[in-house]
Amino acid sequence: MYNARMITVRLPQKKKELELPGPRRVMDLLADAGVRPTTVIVTQGRKLLTKDHRVEDGATIDVISVVSGG
Amino acid sequence: MKCKRCRQAEAAVELPSHHAAFCPDCFFVFFRRQVTEGIRKLRLLAPEDRVLVCVSGGKDSLVLWDVLIDGGYETEGLYIDLGIDGYSDRSKEKVLAYAASRGKTPIVVELAKEGIPIPEAARCVRMQECSICGTVKRYFFNRVAAEGKFTVVATGHNLDDETARLLGNLLHWQRGHLARQHPLLPGEEGGLVRKVKPLWRVSEVETAAYGFLKGIDYVTEECPMSEDATSLVYKEALSRIEDRMPGTRIVFYQGFLDPSNPLRKVPEDAAADAARAAEIDAGEGAGAPQTCAACGAPTYAETCSFCRLKERVRNARSLRAARGSR
Repeated sequence: MYNARMITVRLPQKKKELELPGPRRVMDLLADAGVRPTTVIVTQGRKLLTKDHRVEDGATIDVISVVSGG
Repeated sequence: MKCKRCRQAEAAVELPSHHAAFCPDCFFVFFRRQVTEGIRKLRLLAPEDRVLVCVSGGKDSLVLWDVLIDGGYETEGLYIDLGIDGYSDRSKEKVLAYAASRGKTPIVVELAKEGIPIPEAARCVRMQECSICGTVKRYFFNRVAAEGKFTVVATGHNLDDETARLLGNLLHWQRGHLARQHPLLPGEEGGLVRKVKPLWRVSEVETAAYGFLKGIDYVTEECPMSEDATSLVYKEALSRIEDRMPGTRIVFYQGFLDPSNPLRKVPEDAAADAARAAEIDAGEGAGAPQTCAACGAPTYAETCSFCRLKERVRNARSLRAARGSR
């Protein structure tokens, strides 16, 4: 459920969605989500976020893995 | 964080390996320069080339096509429908949508129609899907390029792909493979078309960032057949090293490509390995290719690896049908 006091972190490739308290930097959110920062790009709508970007409460971010196999 | 180039706009991409951070506009300049420099340094492409770009629907190949179109190269896209339930349809959609946005229509090869969809072929011959996929793709890259009078085939392999492959080859001391690993595989008389990897200097994060910022809608899900691919193990190892020591990957690969590197020369004992590997791996071989007795494609054996594979699949199907009718 949408929670205005939390940050929604979506990990589409893992089909996972987390609610984490904010405001926090992208790198801290990734650490909590157990994701290594150099393996993903992080987006908010049409914006690409740097790892030190501060994400506010109520925001939704997408964590997209960039690692391709095969 | 401000952009390190224009020093005005907010940075969107940070690249520890380059001690840099860029806003979207400056990142486009940086990225295109990296690709252009990679092409120039190894003389991968000439302005008059007709380039067949192999596109899978993933970020790297679509970004490659985008950069080459913007760079003024004459390009066409080739999409190979692997026949993987759901995944292939979604990938094809992305390719068709991107191509349409650039006023292009890609060449499409459907493996189901060719009688060799990857999942079924792998089951029939009891081989790894990725291994079969490699053989089949290389065959069609070359065939379509030769038939369409393309002068070069371009694939979207990036720095992460190439260093993962290098690490794997080193760990297993594949001297023949090491000697032949390069972003430029020259063409040969007899129908082997030159193959190039223009993204060899850029990382996966960089291609993903470029694709996202350019609004290229690529397929983000992984091929379901590649979940256990060994390349992912090598990628993770290198990525952990890169985390601690940014810039290691490019130093590793550029050092390997140095012409004075003895690993780049095929020693006599590795030449035999290379010739054997070439039989399995037509398109990256040594010596002059012959003509496949079955399909006429260039090969280092009597029949090419694709025709041999197709024959094995046919036989397995017949055997299964015979068992089923008993």
